[in-house]
Amino acid sequence: MAVDMRLPTVKSPPVSVLDRKDLVVPGDVITSDTGFMRGHGTYVDEDKLTASVAGKVQRVDKLICVRPLKTRFNGEVGDVVVGRITEVQQKRWKVETNSRLDSVLLLSSVNLPGGELRRRSAEDELTMREYLHEGDLISAEVQSVFSDGALSLHTRSLKYGKLGQGVLVQLSPSLIKRQKTHFHNLPCGASIILGNNGFVWLYPTPGQQEEEAGGFYTSLEPVSLSDREVISRLRNCLLALAAHKMLLYDTSVLYCYESSLQHQVKDVLKPEVMEEIVMLTQQKLLEQES
Amino acid sequence: MAGLELLSDQGYRLDGRKAAELRKVQARMGVFAQADGSAYLEQGNTKALAVVYGPHEMRGSRSRALHDRAVINCQYSMATFSTAERKRRPHGDRKSTEMSLHLKQTFEAAVMTQLFPRSQIDIYVKILQSDGGNYSVCVNAATLAVINAGIPMRDYVCACTVGFVDETPLADLCYAEESGGVSSLALALLPRGGQIALLQMDARLHQDHLESLIEAAMTACKGVSKVLDEVVRQHLQEASVLTRE
Amino acid sequence: MATVQVSEAEKVYILHGIRDDLRVDGRGCEDYRHMEIETDVVSNTDGSAKVTLGHTAVLVGIKAEIGKPRPMVPNEGYLEFFVDCSANATPEFEGRGGEELGTELSNTLYRVFNNKHSLDLRSLCISPGEHCWVLYVDVLLLQCDGNLYDAMSVAIKAALFNTKIPRVNISSDDEGGKEIELSDDPFDCMRLDVENVPCIVTLCKVGHRHVVDATLQEKACSVASLLISVTHKGAVTCARKVGGGSLDPESVFEMTEAGKRVGKALHAPLMALLRQEESLGMKRHKVGFLG
Repeated sequence: MAVDMRLPTVKSPPVSVLDRKDLVVPGDVITSDTGFMRGHGTYVDEDKLTASVAGKVQRVDKLICVRPLKTRFNGEVGDVVVGRITEVQQKRWKVETNSRLDSVLLLSSVNLPGGELRRRSAEDELTMREYLHEGDLISAEVQSVFSDGALSLHTRSLKYGKLGQGVLVQLSPSLIKRQKTHFHNLPCGASIILGNNGFVWLYPTPGQQEEEAGGFYTSLEPVSLSDREVISRLRNCLLALAAHKMLLYDTSVLYCYESSLQHQVKDVLKPEVMEEIVMLTQQKLLEQES
Repeated sequence: MAGLELLSDQGYRLDGRKAAELRKVQARMGVFAQADGSAYLEQGNTKALAVVYGPHEMRGSRSRALHDRAVINCQYSMATFSTAERKRRPHGDRKSTEMSLHLKQTFEAAVMTQLFPRSQIDIYVKILQSDGGNYSVCVNAATLAVINAGIPMRDYVCACTVGFVDETPLADLCYAEESGGVSSLALALLPRGGQIALLQMDARLHQDHLESLIEAAMTACKGVSKVLDEVVRQHLQEASVLTRE
Repeated sequence: MATVQVSEAEKVYILHGIRDDLRVDGRGCEDYRHMEIETDVVSNTDGSAKVTLGHTAVLVGIKAEIGKPRPMVPNEGYLEFFVDCSANATPEFEGRGGEELGTELSNTLYRVFNNKHSLDLRSLCISPGEHCWVLYVDVLLLQCDGNLYDAMSVAIKAALFNTKIPRVNISSDDEGGKEIELSDDPFDCMRLDVENVPCIVTLCKVGHRHVVDATLQEKACSVASLLISVTHKGAVTCARKVGGGSLDPESVFEMTEAGKRVGKALHAPLMALLRQEESLGMKRHKVGFLG
């Protein structure tokens, strides 16, 4: 039994008070040069390109956009997402992916048991709930974006599909670093899916013989205690990194995990411990870069 | 309150401010983790919390969804302990319903709703302590919360309540002044373009004075916008120290 | 967020973890999350406190008003409870959505706190049968992340500790009428004795074991929970089963024992913290929501 009560502390003011030019707030004019294209987070007001959100200006060639620090998921084709089924409808599932509208997973964009080329029969429509029902978690990829901004997902690859035992951590999408792969088997003994939508899935590294039944079979065998401890520690590390607005990718998560090893799992979430291990992680990342 | 002198001969008000002086504004963005955006703002002794959820799929009946823009849904409420006399209900009375509607109209003018067809944005504000200018404080807090949620806006919306005493406009009224029978005017402004998002006046005032009163209100709003701007920039800086790649 | 969805496999994972005494966030079955407490946060109340437990956040404001004693107990004052499940906590509570939960919570709080064993109600009496202090305890839910009862009870105890009721002078005039005069001096006030005020411990039955301070995910896996209020001496003042499922007598007994142990241990650090805060006096840097 442990109770940890304390008085609130005032957070220390930021370290650097540099006036960074790349940070803008709504209404700030980014440029009055008309040669640029307007991207997300900007609008044109009297020929001036103006910011509509508070965040960092990014310029890709002629395109200017502003990325806010915190926002709903703005999906693009090819993004990896983790989502939760909210509704089973005719020929499709509705999926909550932290987007501004629920995403859609069509029956025709999943791999059903029995191989790639199987025809979808009326019977499949009736048994949709057996494959995925309300509350289930899936990993998927964004297949296309509808005109109203809703995402269409697909799970037509063996790495996607229904998720089994593990822990979901919901964070801000802007903290997830874009990488070649968002699936990692971490050397500390667990696996991680860093969904672009800010949903992160932690699970025990699967063995060889699984993933046979088209990704709809989930093992309900108890996970070993050591695996659980690793997963719980990773979860708390993710929250610590997110609390300090650190970018999340395999290396930063792993370094944070290593820095946290001297503390008990449940202590990682204490403010002073979080600060300490995030500092250590930053140092390690800097060392690795140089 | 009838005999109370709201503006002394030396030009000082009840709480010692000058006519055009604002109360001290302090604010913080991102107070809560679960909401998409949140902010806390105090202006003198009036304190408000604003929380934003969304944009998200329509809740309840989907028929309310608009095919070309997002629906903004506001609820204004007051903590039962916020006023000197304890309130029985936090919301649902006529005044709160009216306030909710005003907030909705104000933010429809500022948020770029056309970017989110068929979605819904919830803005909930709660007065924790009330000392005059509740509407303005709510608007200012909600602006910060919307920015915190990363929802695109044309500009900040800043609001201020001004009163008119002895031919002088008084900026940012406190409760004692508001209840002292001053003709007051609430104004919400998009400061950069000088656009008025909401204008409300219930009292009697000579037409000739209206212009100077609106002028004073706009100046006060611009003053508020400066403070909000600082808060947002400070928050951005704090948060992006580590995010840089 | 009052409720969350959890898939079958996640449930199994949580269940097995609790069986092994290692919960998803690394806690053991009888561990609380990190708790932060601050009193005197709303200046126009007579007492207030803000408590955060994990992401759960509650704000309690107490206002003392003069009222008439209940006819059955003419020499006692009383407490009134109101829980505002505001839409700030979750959009589900918008409009009238939070009323049902609010009523349930406030009724339970009334049962737990409004009795002479937890608070000396007689000290709230001004003149028997005529005037007494009524303490309006208003709880504002700002964020829900499970375990509302425990967080609320700690906040209420802290707010009661912080409550300052002005002293009254009763003078009678020539015709025998009584006049009540409130003291103008803000330091001339009455404090409440909160020694016996209980804390609530909610035990969630998950699988074959029970946990304290359940998160929303854990609550989704639990069939039923037992709420017990415990004083600093370890005396149980109220017990109540909440939730849809059923409990067998044996586990109720086990849970009560565990709750007594945990509840008793809550009081000492809480009181130490409140005294420490009080001793800082004017030097204390008020944090509120600006921290």
